[in-house]
Amino acid sequence: MAVSLNSVWKTYGEGATAVHALAGVDAEIPSGEFTVILGPSGSGKTTMLNLIGGIDDVTSGDLFVEDLNLTGLTSDERTAYRRSTVGFVFQFFNLIPTLTALENVELVTSLTMGNGAERAAAVLEHVGLAERLDHFPAMLSGGEQQRVAIARALAKSPPVLLCDEPTGELDFETGRLILDLLRRVNREENQTVLLVTHNAAIGDMADRVLRLRSGSIVEDRHNANPIEAGELTW
Amino acid sequence: MTPLHHKLLRDIRAQRAQFIAVIVTIFLGVTLFAASYDSYQNLAASYESTFTEFRFANVTMSGGDVAGFADVARQEPGVDSVELRTVGDVPLQMGGLKLLGRVVGMPPDAQPSVNQVRIADGSYLAASDTDTALAEEHMADHFKLAPGSTFEVLGPTGWQTMAVGGVASSPEYIWPARNRQELLTSPDNFAVVFVPERLAQVIVGTDGPNEAIVYYIDGVEDEALTDLLLAEAASRGATVSFARDDQPSNAALSEDLKGFEELALFFPMLFLAAAGMATYVMIGRLVHAQRPQIGVLLANGFTRRQVLSHYLGYGVIPGLIGAIPGAVAGVVLARVITGFYTEMLSVPSTLIRFYPATLLAGVAFGLVASILAAIGPALLASRIAPAEAMRGSAPAGRGRPSIVERIVPSLRRLPVPWRMALRGIERNPRRTLFTVLGVVLSLTLVLVSWGMLDTIVNLMDKQFVQIQQEDATVYFAGPVGTDDVLALQEVPGIAAAESVLQTPVVLVGDDRYESILTTFDSGTAMHRFFGDDGRERPLPDDGLLLGGAMKGILGVSAGDSVQLSVSGYATEARVAGFIDEPLGTAAYASRTYVETVVGATLPATSALIRYDEGAVVDEVRAGLVEMDGVAAFEDANALYDTAQKYMIFFYLFVGVMLLFGGAMAFALIFSAMSVNIAERTREVATLLAVGTERHQISRMITAENMMVALFGIPLGLGFGYLAAKQAMASFESDLFAFDLYIRPSTLVVSALAILVVALLSQWPGLRAIGHLDIAKIVKERSL
Repeated sequence: MAVSLNSVWKTYGEGATAVHALAGVDAEIPSGEFTVILGPSGSGKTTMLNLIGGIDDVTSGDLFVEDLNLTGLTSDERTAYRRSTVGFVFQFFNLIPTLTALENVELVTSLTMGNGAERAAAVLEHVGLAERLDHFPAMLSGGEQQRVAIARALAKSPPVLLCDEPTGELDFETGRLILDLLRRVNREENQTVLLVTHNAAIGDMADRVLRLRSGSIVEDRHNANPIEAGELTW
Repeated sequence: MTPLHHKLLRDIRAQRAQFIAVIVTIFLGVTLFAASYDSYQNLAASYESTFTEFRFANVTMSGGDVAGFADVARQEPGVDSVELRTVGDVPLQMGGLKLLGRVVGMPPDAQPSVNQVRIADGSYLAASDTDTALAEEHMADHFKLAPGSTFEVLGPTGWQTMAVGGVASSPEYIWPARNRQELLTSPDNFAVVFVPERLAQVIVGTDGPNEAIVYYIDGVEDEALTDLLLAEAASRGATVSFARDDQPSNAALSEDLKGFEELALFFPMLFLAAAGMATYVMIGRLVHAQRPQIGVLLANGFTRRQVLSHYLGYGVIPGLIGAIPGAVAGVVLARVITGFYTEMLSVPSTLIRFYPATLLAGVAFGLVASILAAIGPALLASRIAPAEAMRGSAPAGRGRPSIVERIVPSLRRLPVPWRMALRGIERNPRRTLFTVLGVVLSLTLVLVSWGMLDTIVNLMDKQFVQIQQEDATVYFAGPVGTDDVLALQEVPGIAAAESVLQTPVVLVGDDRYESILTTFDSGTAMHRFFGDDGRERPLPDDGLLLGGAMKGILGVSAGDSVQLSVSGYATEARVAGFIDEPLGTAAYASRTYVETVVGATLPATSALIRYDEGAVVDEVRAGLVEMDGVAAFEDANALYDTAQKYMIFFYLFVGVMLLFGGAMAFALIFSAMSVNIAERTREVATLLAVGTERHQISRMITAENMMVALFGIPLGLGFGYLAAKQAMASFESDLFAFDLYIRPSTLVVSALAILVVALLSQWPGLRAIGHLDIAKIVKERSL
């Protein structure tokens, strides 16, 4: 299993003001699966992604990613985990404005493989940005910026890719292109992809759809015949 | 309280660390202003009150036809009183100590109409007193004299025992200076006693008074009258004449007052500029971060004026919180400083007043500085387009390689974190500029204070170690021949003795200047002479060496002639050159030259001596004091030692300034760096999310901040040096030559100290990285 959640609770606040963002969630996500997590605002989908990404702590329960139990890891251990195991794609790209596309990716590859300029360039080429290596974020379109962010996430070849509303800031056409790219890397690299969105239509391209409401999984559906991203409409 | 007021207070509470830094800077600036300005006002008022209460002379004339001068002065409208008296420098003996003191004649039974004294202990002189004197307060304190104590004075008939009838302080000796050329004295070398006028004439050995002192109606200065009287004094052969401003004690005090005045302007200005910058950076960041909130406010009907005043509030509140207690603390501190100062100087009349204007001005300065700093960001806030602000997409700056990368393309091969740091410097040029300015201002503050200390240490070293080579001066009871001086070499413990003739002199060129002419043996080993270029030069046999200030005063150059008047005898003398001496503006000549000019053999009034290696000073001194012809003994080290003792005040001053400078540097750099870190929390959170370790991020941010601080260091050193030079130049006069000297180690230590402060000021921000809510920040819309 790539990801395994056993009775995972995440609670913010205490006593009467306590809010259960996740309330005893159980889920098993096999390696190489493209999973879409759906749900309205406040349903706990981003919390789940953050817990899997190791940028937040579970309150109780066990959470395994690639056989590593994240519960009780120290801050340094979580940092090492994030470096080796997961890649993030954010809604707002979160690129560093003073670095070029190549340098934004190289920043991550330099962490994991010393000077990773070649790897960074190769990944950017892979996402279709071979001509934009020396462009700064401000010179790129939203779609291009998100592709840089995906390249940054892919560059260290993480077994798990976590995408939080990756099309939220993009127009329809660009959004489909990004989804297509994510699906392609999922297939080519056999990476496990977890994609959080409130856009139910995107669920049609996933191998599996988890629907959350009020911190609990209310639907766990497998798509026998997922459609291609280019066929999506919303 | 409106909701906006709540928002204002809660925002301040949320960013309390930065606000506290600003408040502390404003507090320090206003405290310094109020403390130094009120001290200045209190001291100036105390001196003025003393001058009026004790009828301090507006004009003084010594030597020449003083009686004729007094007759003329009495006829002048505006003159209230004229006194004639006898003043002379004579040997005094207290315990085993012989020193060259001063006797001042006073009318018995009643205070004089000019230059009165305050009786601190005992009683004023009575007509029946033939062997009673008033001891000047500094002398009494030093030698523990009280009514009933005794001392000896050397008169024409030998040593005469005198009783102390009282202890007195005088407006003439608030700062106990012997003359304008000897402003620095030690209590072991100079003391003043007031005796009945007739006794003074006997002791000094004159037939009548030798000094006239004039007091104007109500003591009010009248420049035209002063010019007229000084001209009259010059025409009547005065050897020394001066207006109140130039009276030695008053001139020294004026320099001191000037110091407080400088302090009251220069240092507070630095602090308030720093506080203003920190406020600007802080509110600028706040406005940037609150763009969506501002958009919502405007969209909901708040006027631009309301938004403007709301953001001005972020300046007004720290301004008031810092300025009000700062002004109060300053006023209280001024009372302490004035009390301590006037007591230390024995100022006869001390006035410590409450000046509401200082309080108000202090608050106003603090408030104005912070409001001025807030205006820019507040205006920006009020001009924001609501729709754009609520969308949250701030205009993205175009990224580009840094200037240094463009100049040195190979830098683009540096590791990415280093490139990031380099570009971060240019990312927000205004913030970088303010950080640099913060470093510059802090270094300026430190260097001006430390430069003052270094200059004074250097000045003392130059005067007492490099220039004056004697170990002691021996004064004779009367003029002696060179053989008598050479005989001193026979005294055990004395290696060398040289004869010296010191006499008051008037030099006339384009203007006239009263000074002291000191005559040494040609090739003297007791005094070294340094030219303007700093190079040593010998004492010439073909002319005078004059203190550098005389070049401008007399309007003469090397090779020109000046008129030289000594005790009414006038002659032409050649100017051989000018010398650079820190204390006073004296004239020097070789015995050979003066004997050639006057056509007679010169006696000696004193001898400069040097001890044998390993000689026991006290024994040599005791041996000399016992000798018949020796009237006084002046240890060259006594003044130096006294000065060294007073250096503790300078160290204290510099220590306080370093603390203040450090606090200011911390507040400024902390503000700039907190904002620097706050502006990139999103990047930091992203870096943490992708697995970058905290220490790697801290290193990157530190590298960037330190590069900015390092950039400010040479600028700060340069600017600080110039400011220190300017500050020292403002004290420059014919009394002191304050050539700025800053030790290289001072520059290095100051620079390192500021770098350490910069490093420390990052700490709270870097520590906050550990507490970032990564999940929340990476999800936020970029601003």
